[in-house]
Amino acid sequence: MSARSIAPDLSALEVPWDVWSEPFWQATAERKLLMPHCTECGTFRWPAGPFCPQCQSQKVTWVPPGLGHIYSFTVLPVLGDAKDAPRHRVPVLVEFEQAKGVRLVSALIDAPLDGIAIGAAVEVDWLAAANATVPVFRLVSPPPSR
Amino acid sequence: MTRAARGGEAAIVGAGATPYYFRGQSHPQTVYELIGKAILAALADAQLTLDDVDGFTFFAAGFDPGTIAEQLGIRRLTFSHIVSGYGSGMAGILDLASMGIETGRAKTILCIGAAQQVGRRYGQSLANFGVTPDNVFHRIAGLSGPGQALALSARRHMHLYGTRREAFGEIVLASRAAAATRETAIRRKPLTMDEYMASPMLADPLCRLDFCLETDGALAFVVTSAERAADLPQRPVYIAGAAQVGTRDWGRAFFWLNQSDEAFTTAGAGPVAQRLYEMTGLGPKDIDVALLYDHFSPLVIMQLEDYGFCKRGEGGPFVESGAIRLGGSLPINPHGGHLSEGYVVGMTHIREAVEQLRGTAVNQIKNARIALVTGGPAPIPMTGAILRNER
Repeated sequence: MSARSIAPDLSALEVPWDVWSEPFWQATAERKLLMPHCTECGTFRWPAGPFCPQCQSQKVTWVPPGLGHIYSFTVLPVLGDAKDAPRHRVPVLVEFEQAKGVRLVSALIDAPLDGIAIGAAVEVDWLAAANATVPVFRLVSPPPSR
Repeated sequence: MTRAARGGEAAIVGAGATPYYFRGQSHPQTVYELIGKAILAALADAQLTLDDVDGFTFFAAGFDPGTIAEQLGIRRLTFSHIVSGYGSGMAGILDLASMGIETGRAKTILCIGAAQQVGRRYGQSLANFGVTPDNVFHRIAGLSGPGQALALSARRHMHLYGTRREAFGEIVLASRAAAATRETAIRRKPLTMDEYMASPMLADPLCRLDFCLETDGALAFVVTSAERAADLPQRPVYIAGAAQVGTRDWGRAFFWLNQSDEAFTTAGAGPVAQRLYEMTGLGPKDIDVALLYDHFSPLVIMQLEDYGFCKRGEGGPFVESGAIRLGGSLPINPHGGHLSEGYVVGMTHIREAVEQLRGTAVNQIKNARIALVTGGPAPIPMTGAILRNER
């Protein structure tokens, strides 16, 4: 059986936001993942910010980005773990089928370390931070844990 | 007319450095003490004095000119500027120095860089920042250092082009082989590919040996006019061209991770290379020795592609051919680089370029006339410089 990536403990994390990123966190509180999309020209931007980099409009519509895929990832041993029982975190960079041009970096949780690949489909899951609900990802239809 | 055709207006006439210390071991010297020692060594090398100095250049997170002037007793500055990139901006200090000399704003400029890691580590630098609405996602992901973030680019390069870990390993082995004869190098023990492959993974696909050293030290270079350089004792090293370029496609680099798809698997240096070659009228075939910013081994491969030494995606095979070794078609980092000599945010690469072009390098490349020095892949501006020993 392959070791699996852990879920980070984010319970002490105080997520900061500003007026442009606040809608992202308002949506995640309802377990919805939305990305900022220019109302004028349809360009996605990330992170959320005051202007569309394509047309400089300030009007934003928050929309679901569609299915995610792994753009890249790395595997990090948890520092300080015993050598015979290492745990691993997997930072993952996710691109979305319906939000071209933007990528979200997050954690890939509960994934078999030898079964992660660029291009694999991922679905969002949720972890609790001190003041927010944080989107993380799982492989779509992962094989059941044994 | 290109600057190179004009002959290069500014020249490096002095180089000075402290010893390189493993991180934290420069304590109890202060970082300004290290800088002062490097400045004094550079001026001695140039046979100039503090009274000649009227300019400073730094790169971002640079140092306070007032403190340096107070401590060393510098009488009058007419030029003090900072390139707004960090490791990315390193080579830009030579651009600023050229500007200062060519415009007559200063006559003797010190280019200064230093690192001291007492109680903090560059390897954890992303985690050292306060959490912001933008960087909170790196925190959630668990990316606490540049190497962890750049592992994402390295893996995608492998995925797209079939780049092998053996290529990363060859970069480390070549670096270590060069460092074996260099007394200033911290890691000098030769390395085998088996040892490389057995090194523990820190950020898969990067193992411990793909990460550069964390070092303390300071370096300073004296830049003056080519005309004045002719009367000074050291063989002048002319700044044929130094370029600073920033694009939205690259932006904040691994602090952003939303670079354009084309840029993501590069070191972000393509636009710098293009501008540098345009400025100087030179090209990749003219470079005798390349001092590439090698804080993580895959970045050497990406810069080889960015600077046109090989096609996009062919950096791995280029490296595995042995081309970057001493005696290869393009020797890279004959001083051992950041991977084996030391890491002072790129400054050691300027020192090696100067030594190569003076003909005094420990691992001298025969008849080296033209050297490339690059800054690292970090937030814009990205920078690079071409130095030469003939006008």
